[in-house]
Amino acid sequence: MEAGSVLEVEHLIKTYRSRRRGEIKAVDDASFSVERGEIVGLLGPNGAGKTTTIKCLCTLVTPTSGKVFVDGANAVDEPRAAVAKLAAVLEGNRNVYWRLTPRENLEFFAALHGIPRRSVGALLDELLERFNLEDQRDVESRTLSRGMQQKLAVACAFVKQTPILLLDEPTLGLDVETSHELRAMLRDMAGNAGRTILLSSHDMDVVQDVCDRVIVINNGRIVTSDRVSNLLALFQARAYRFVVRGEVDGALRDALASAFDKIEISSDDGVATIDVELLDAERLYELVDLLRSRQCLIDSIDRRDPDLEEIFLRILRGEVRS
Amino acid sequence: MKTATLYGASLRRTLIEARRYWFDTAAGVVSIYGFFVIIFLGAKLFGGNTPGFGDTLSGVVVSYALWALVIFSLGAVTFELIQEAQLGTLEQLGMSAFGLPRVLVARALTGLVVQVTIVAGLLTVMMATTGRWLNIDLVSIVPLLAVTLLGIIGFGFVLGGLAIVFKRVQQPLQIFQVVVIALVIAPVGTWTWVKFMPLAWGAHLIKQVMVDENRIFDMVGTDLLFLLAHSFVYFTGGLAVFKYFEHTARDRALLGHY
Repeated sequence: MEAGSVLEVEHLIKTYRSRRRGEIKAVDDASFSVERGEIVGLLGPNGAGKTTTIKCLCTLVTPTSGKVFVDGANAVDEPRAAVAKLAAVLEGNRNVYWRLTPRENLEFFAALHGIPRRSVGALLDELLERFNLEDQRDVESRTLSRGMQQKLAVACAFVKQTPILLLDEPTLGLDVETSHELRAMLRDMAGNAGRTILLSSHDMDVVQDVCDRVIVINNGRIVTSDRVSNLLALFQARAYRFVVRGEVDGALRDALASAFDKIEISSDDGVATIDVELLDAERLYELVDLLRSRQCLIDSIDRRDPDLEEIFLRILRGEVRS
Repeated sequence: MKTATLYGASLRRTLIEARRYWFDTAAGVVSIYGFFVIIFLGAKLFGGNTPGFGDTLSGVVVSYALWALVIFSLGAVTFELIQEAQLGTLEQLGMSAFGLPRVLVARALTGLVVQVTIVAGLLTVMMATTGRWLNIDLVSIVPLLAVTLLGIIGFGFVLGGLAIVFKRVQQPLQIFQVVVIALVIAPVGTWTWVKFMPLAWGAHLIKQVMVDENRIFDMVGTDLLFLLAHSFVYFTGGLAVFKYFEHTARDRALLGHY
């Protein structure tokens, strides 16, 4: 186990046997770690192995092989010690009792972690206030909106006061406003409360907005693991958009295409747009020289700011490894 | 880890849900009572004048009340697991620091508080209906019933384990409801082997108290020891089987499925 890591996954393999499809490898030799206080996003397409990985961490799924440590506790050999350190929200609003009120749900989930009702009162009030559920504290949860139920599920995870939170698609089905509220809470939990959060999401905005680092998983394998800022910088430094006055003729197109691998040229109403990615930033001058040699007048040069979604798709396509 | 916290929270949840699901509970009790009235009237019509009918009727009342209690207790374990799996909360229970089996034992035992209260009310109404007032010697009944139900809960865990792996266990459960009737009325004095079956021996001793007006202190020590051992084996055996199914469910990622 690495020093400072609170979650450690070593060569995790999980296979299932299906009568129809034979052996399915949901997670294939995945290794990664998460440092204390980090918010890490686990990204991947459907069926990539995100949920299985999270469920192995919270002991709900037994790994076929490999090791999983939760704050030093081996999740396979000491599952109760491992789950004592974490709380998880899986499938959002399906994690609360619909016949209980938010207050009763919070009390029950605290008790599942051995926290008595009398010592949770102040925290309960604080959580209901922070999650904007004060007015609904004593109504049955089945009458709440999906977004409120989802927030309640996250609050039920928070009430356990564990150092680690695992969130599987925490913003799925939430409206924009609630999603932003939840993001702020997650940042606050990691920043002020020092909790470690591992979240899986399809919502790249959430991951880009909340996470310090992303781990991309595809076909059960870890494809990349890097800080969000590094991944964004990687592309920001290399992607440029040139706007050129006049047409780009065939000869120039051929010259550009042969000189640069990733280039797209489009023309509209006497103005050409050239989108280019440069593996070496120095080659920017080469491109400028080429345009100048063909008397192309450059109107503007902009550095493009790709978002995490674009980077994620490129990582999945194997176009980049950080 | 404070076990009292778990039991307190579980009891509170049981009482809250019993209050909020009152219509379901009431409908169940009314249908069980209605079925009893049909049995009673039928028995009275065809055998009301035969000698010893009164004692037989007392036996029927006790057996029926025990059957109702066992059905409620078994349902509390099995249907609770099915419901938790459907709701998606079973995984949350599976992540409890107490471990899933201890949480479910707490749920089952605290559930008994409500079930025993309901069946006690039902028994009173049945006694009033038949005019047969049974011997309610709580000092004798409570320990016998507690030990008997512990064994039944163990059996409930077997069905619960099947439920989390195979999901659809309603049909075996319905069949078991019929089997419970046989176990409650089984003549353990005639067929000795029957006393090894779940429930049969406990039901036999409880009937001795309620119908024959025996006291627990007058019972043979080995009979009581057999009941203790019998229930202990069913309870621990049931838990062991449940843990096996739980392990299988975690291996196949079935805890969150329904």
